[in-house]
Amino acid sequence: MPSASSLPQVSHLATLEPSSPSRAWLTAAHPTLPLLATCSSDKTVRIYSLTSFTLLSTITGGHKRSIRTCAWKPNLKGESVLATGSFDASVGIWRRYDNDMNPKPKDVLSGLDFDARDKAIASGQMGDEHAEEDEEDDDEWRFAIVLDGHESEVKSVAWSSGGNLLATCSRDKSVWIWEEVGDDDYETIAVMQEHEGDVKCVAWHPEEELLASASYDDDVRLWREDVDDWGCCGVLRGHGSTVWCVGWEGVVPRVLGNVEDGQKDTKERWVKRREASGPRLMSCSDDLSIRVWRRRPKEKVQQSRLSIIRSGTSEEDWVEEGQLPKAHSRPIYAIAWSKSGRVVSTGGDGAVVIYEERWKKAGGNAESKVTEAHEGGMGGAE
Amino acid sequence: LFSSIVPPSAYLPDPFSPSSSSASDQDDADIEPIDEQEIYDLISPISDPEHPLTLGSLSVVNLPDIFLTPTFPERGSLSPLTTLTVLVTPTITHCSLATVIGLGVRVRLEQALPPRFRVDVRIKEGTHSTAEQVNRQLGDKERVAAALENGTLMGVLRKMLEGCESGAV
Repeated sequence: MPSASSLPQVSHLATLEPSSPSRAWLTAAHPTLPLLATCSSDKTVRIYSLTSFTLLSTITGGHKRSIRTCAWKPNLKGESVLATGSFDASVGIWRRYDNDMNPKPKDVLSGLDFDARDKAIASGQMGDEHAEEDEEDDDEWRFAIVLDGHESEVKSVAWSSGGNLLATCSRDKSVWIWEEVGDDDYETIAVMQEHEGDVKCVAWHPEEELLASASYDDDVRLWREDVDDWGCCGVLRGHGSTVWCVGWEGVVPRVLGNVEDGQKDTKERWVKRREASGPRLMSCSDDLSIRVWRRRPKEKVQQSRLSIIRSGTSEEDWVEEGQLPKAHSRPIYAIAWSKSGRVVSTGGDGAVVIYEERWKKAGGNAESKVTEAHEGGMGGAE
Repeated sequence: LFSSIVPPSAYLPDPFSPSSSSASDQDDADIEPIDEQEIYDLISPISDPEHPLTLGSLSVVNLPDIFLTPTFPERGSLSPLTTLTVLVTPTITHCSLATVIGLGVRVRLEQALPPRFRVDVRIKEGTHSTAEQVNRQLGDKERVAAALENGTLMGVLRKMLEGCESGAV
């Protein structure tokens, strides 16, 4: 075990100000730009710069009650799209051109920085003839569309990795999937109601169109499309109370440290198994536990190529791989898995805990250690 | 598998700790000991949503059912976080307003106490038919927050808290 002094320290980098006067429910980092969105019970979303740590814009006027959640649409160029979910039961889609976050085309053209100019031309920023006229509007977030359907508070929204599907969930116990079918046009493609309590969180698999949801009914459910219908393909049971959040591992697993010579086989077996299973899922709960779930790959069944009867089932077989070390003394509200393989959790105790997965010194599995930064938390951190 | 050690020395200075110089500039960051009697005095004047009587006079809240414990006992004075547990005794075991009463107690405490308190309001064991359900609702940060945005419910709560000093919601 590493001694306390060898643990990395987490230090305070900046405070984003001016902040919301009331509870900030969630923060979401932009997938590519140095931007952060925070949504608040004052019915606004604030967008901060992660380079200057200043407030860039405030999105207002779309929701009648607390904005509980938001998510940036991935895979966009030149424009940012944000989905917001509110206690007013509606989901909003907002758009904004990215121009003003980068050097203005005019500045780049007149400058002597040819690299920047070439880059700007290559990325298509120079192609916008109206860039100058629109400059004023560029600072504005435009309300694109409101998605109505949920009956009560929307708790979480998530874009699929491709960005064409949006999942939303609510206290009304349902999970909805929306598909973008045209400019600012969304269609409901599924309404799933198998959960027996509030659905607190939805999260998409990083590669597959597989959705995980966490609920007040203590279960995690998995959803995917089978032939033409979306349906539940797995129930992950084990938590003893509300599951607050689920998070997916990155596509490439990152286990730190080295294995001893005698353990090489173990490592190989682990990596092979992980490759067959794909990214793992983690869930955190009111029961103070964080559980790691792993898919059991289906055994290949020999079957005739000519068979027209679908022999496989869409059911997923998932098992609990283990639990993270206990570090929280109050409900655990949020977890996230970084690209570098670390996991962070936070909860009602105001603590932010960082975990690392490591190869065990003496055989068996991978191990992790914890470093901790303690915050004097105010209410439910997320 | 994941496993851990959580050494207390790894914690950063706590912004609420009295030794932290930047935090002690603020009055409310200083730690004044608050005892169970003071908690009782905060919540006993709350009126019952149905009767013109207070929760104290109906013995819905009782001094021996108020508990103050450090949230992180192993950290000692390093952490000022305090868990406050209040057990509520409904007047009848099928009281339909148990959730509203619990919510009133929770709102009163969260408004009156500094943020270092973690408030748990629960139904006293064996005193209500759906205690488990009520406890879960009262412990759910989102349900509580959403309830406080509900105009009708807030009207009821405001009335309950009228008798409390600075009890305005």
